[in-house]
Amino acid sequence: MLFSTVPVIAQISPGQLASVHSHLEGISNCTHCHTLGDKVTNDKCLSCHTEIKARLDLHKGYHASSEVKGKNCTSCHSDHHGLTFQIIRFDKEKFNHTLTGFTLSGAHSKKVCKDCHKAEFIANGKLKSKKFTYLGLNTNCLPCHTDYHQKTITAPCLNCHGDAAFKPAPKFNHASAKFPLQGMHQTVPCVKCHPVTMTNTIKFQQFSGILYKQCSNCHTDPHHGQFGPNCMSCHSEASFHTVKGISNFDHFKTKYPLENKHQGVPCKSCHKTNVTDPVKHSRCFDCHSDYHYGQFAKQGVIPDCSGCHSTKGFTGTSFTIEQHNSANFKLDGAHLATPCFACHKKQEKWSFRQIGIRCADCHKDIHEGFINKKYYPDNNCSICHNPSHWGEVSFDHSLTQFAITGPHATLSCRACHFKKDSTGVDQQQFADMSANCSNCHKDNHNRQFETNGITDCLRCHNASLWKITTFDHNKTTFKLDGKHQNVACAKCHKTVTEQNITYVLYKIKDTRCESCH
Amino acid sequence: MSYTHKLYIFALSAIVLVTFALLCYYGYSYYRLPLEERFFHQGHTLLKPGGGWGHGFGIIGSLSMILGIVLYMVRKRSRFLGRFGLLKHWLEFHIFLCTLGPVLVLFHTSFKFGGLVAVSFWSMVAVFLSGVIGRFIYIQIPRTIEGRELSLNEVRDLKSNIGTILSESYKLDEESYNLILDSTKRKVELYEKNVFLKFTRKYFNERKTISSVKAAVKKNNLSRADRKEVVNLVKHDITLNRRIDRLVTMQNLFKYWHVAHLPFAIVMLIIMVIHVGVTIVLGYRWIF
Repeated sequence: MLFSTVPVIAQISPGQLASVHSHLEGISNCTHCHTLGDKVTNDKCLSCHTEIKARLDLHKGYHASSEVKGKNCTSCHSDHHGLTFQIIRFDKEKFNHTLTGFTLSGAHSKKVCKDCHKAEFIANGKLKSKKFTYLGLNTNCLPCHTDYHQKTITAPCLNCHGDAAFKPAPKFNHASAKFPLQGMHQTVPCVKCHPVTMTNTIKFQQFSGILYKQCSNCHTDPHHGQFGPNCMSCHSEASFHTVKGISNFDHFKTKYPLENKHQGVPCKSCHKTNVTDPVKHSRCFDCHSDYHYGQFAKQGVIPDCSGCHSTKGFTGTSFTIEQHNSANFKLDGAHLATPCFACHKKQEKWSFRQIGIRCADCHKDIHEGFINKKYYPDNNCSICHNPSHWGEVSFDHSLTQFAITGPHATLSCRACHFKKDSTGVDQQQFADMSANCSNCHKDNHNRQFETNGITDCLRCHNASLWKITTFDHNKTTFKLDGKHQNVACAKCHKTVTEQNITYVLYKIKDTRCESCH
Repeated sequence: MSYTHKLYIFALSAIVLVTFALLCYYGYSYYRLPLEERFFHQGHTLLKPGGGWGHGFGIIGSLSMILGIVLYMVRKRSRFLGRFGLLKHWLEFHIFLCTLGPVLVLFHTSFKFGGLVAVSFWSMVAVFLSGVIGRFIYIQIPRTIEGRELSLNEVRDLKSNIGTILSESYKLDEESYNLILDSTKRKVELYEKNVFLKFTRKYFNERKTISSVKAAVKKNNLSRADRKEVVNLVKHDITLNRRIDRLVTMQNLFKYWHVAHLPFAIVMLIIMVIHVGVTIVLGYRWIF
């Protein structure tokens, strides 16, 4: 019975050792692990497990952590529980990997133990040969991860990469690189500057040894050297299209030098998008709208503004008198001095076409209603007036009933045809004018020679020469004879004042001698 | 059996059963695990053989058995202790300690039976089982109140004069009287090669006899108490008949039983000493 129940007689072991300790089976091996009188001591364990002892001596690893330090090995690692007993067993889900000196975070936290704890990642040959061990790993990245950069970068991986994923490298700060990314460079995909190639049959992205000091190391010069090699003198990293120091930009280096008024025009007025975007500049219309609404179009083609205008200002014009005279309406006389707008801007907008060439198209007929149209048919002012001088009237007055002769010919029209009214305003009168002298002239004789209410000056005076040359005193009631012929007129015809009117009294009623003598 | 003695027996039995039940209850989740898994059970530290409780179970259980054996052996052989209590009661206490002890040792092993110490355990089991058998044999041999075995004649004298009792105390018709009287007489047993069949047949015959006695007393309109008393008289006599029939056999069996019971106990104790010695040498001293 005894022999049937006990397979190995004299076996005092409390149970079979685990497979990893199976070489310690047998009564002679007890003291390999057990200390007489003192159970199983840590020293006994560590005398075999030197790899753990080495870590403890360095105060590294899980066994040196606060969670384990001071504990007996047997509190976690027991034995005599059978061949298949797992001496190392713990809750892998709850295990605090930080205690090992390597915190599992990011992508590492999603891994299972065997993803990392495998022989190919272990450098130590002794540990590598073990069937399985949690020891032997390095906290550096490369023992487990492939060096994507193929030894081109010497800095520790964690300087740039986080543990959430290899890409992107969140801790990499391009600002601390030799070429800080600023402006638009920050939006450029990495691969634009760091090309991906196949190196050593492996996908490789170049991060070191990239030329960066000249813009042209990466960028093509769209100006083909026109502005020199220093792109930064105009451009900034904020954007290629945002030119810095624009006030210093020498537009004369471009194909369109800015002159005169153009120099004061804001850049944006012409460079609607970006200053670096090509701008049409061969014709004014490339920037300017046709102020004249196509009035100068010939056969559908609008001539360039530069024919009349210059960059010195739109208001001035280089359109010459000669050019104007080659048109339908020649400028002469006062028209030469007439500002353009007087004729071409009679309304709000300038007008250069179909504005008429007749005087009345521009000028107001001030004689409307005053002069009979028969004297200037079709409102043709030039019958009387000329462009040189409005006052020079060439009207043939003989066409009227009052031919002008003598001094009348020297008078201006206004002398007879314009009179001030009671308010002092000139009032013209051409039609229905009386041919009587008194119509224009003042009767200095205080109506002494009036007959039937009309004083006929020409009975005494001559139109050509006002001075009386034909008066015959003998035809009056008092003949001049004798001494009277030599007597000055004023001796007899004295100046009198009557009713506040002073005049020379010619018609002397009393012709008796004693009236004078 | 007095009420006090009944209470004493009940208390001892209860201690054993409650101890067993409690240990099963508290340790079930641990003990049911495969050996490889137990270390990781939260109760391992306490319930493992070397644990706070487990080690205690072993020490207390072993001491119980040693005490039970020693006390009973000394009581049986010592004149001095012969004055203290009835041997029957010492045996009952011996049985209690040597039942409680194995129970505790069983839980001390945590149901892990291997190595040299398993010899001790299985020896203990053998001692326990043989003790149970011995107890059965023991009660088959009629004894004096001090526990001395009775001779065949002394046993025969124990039989009641049931004929006199029936005629004096109960008014039974003749047919019933004769039936009851006949039922208490020893029967000549037919040869039966199959012992189990022999005992089975005899058991059922006795049951049949008791049933016929019950029917007879019922027919005579005896009171309930009288009926019970008559039936018990018949049962007592039938039991005595059975014991008289087996007395020699049982006496022989009891001699041989000692030969088996004691060596197992000695083997158990020797290996237990080795086991305890090794344990102490390796530094496992429980609370000491």
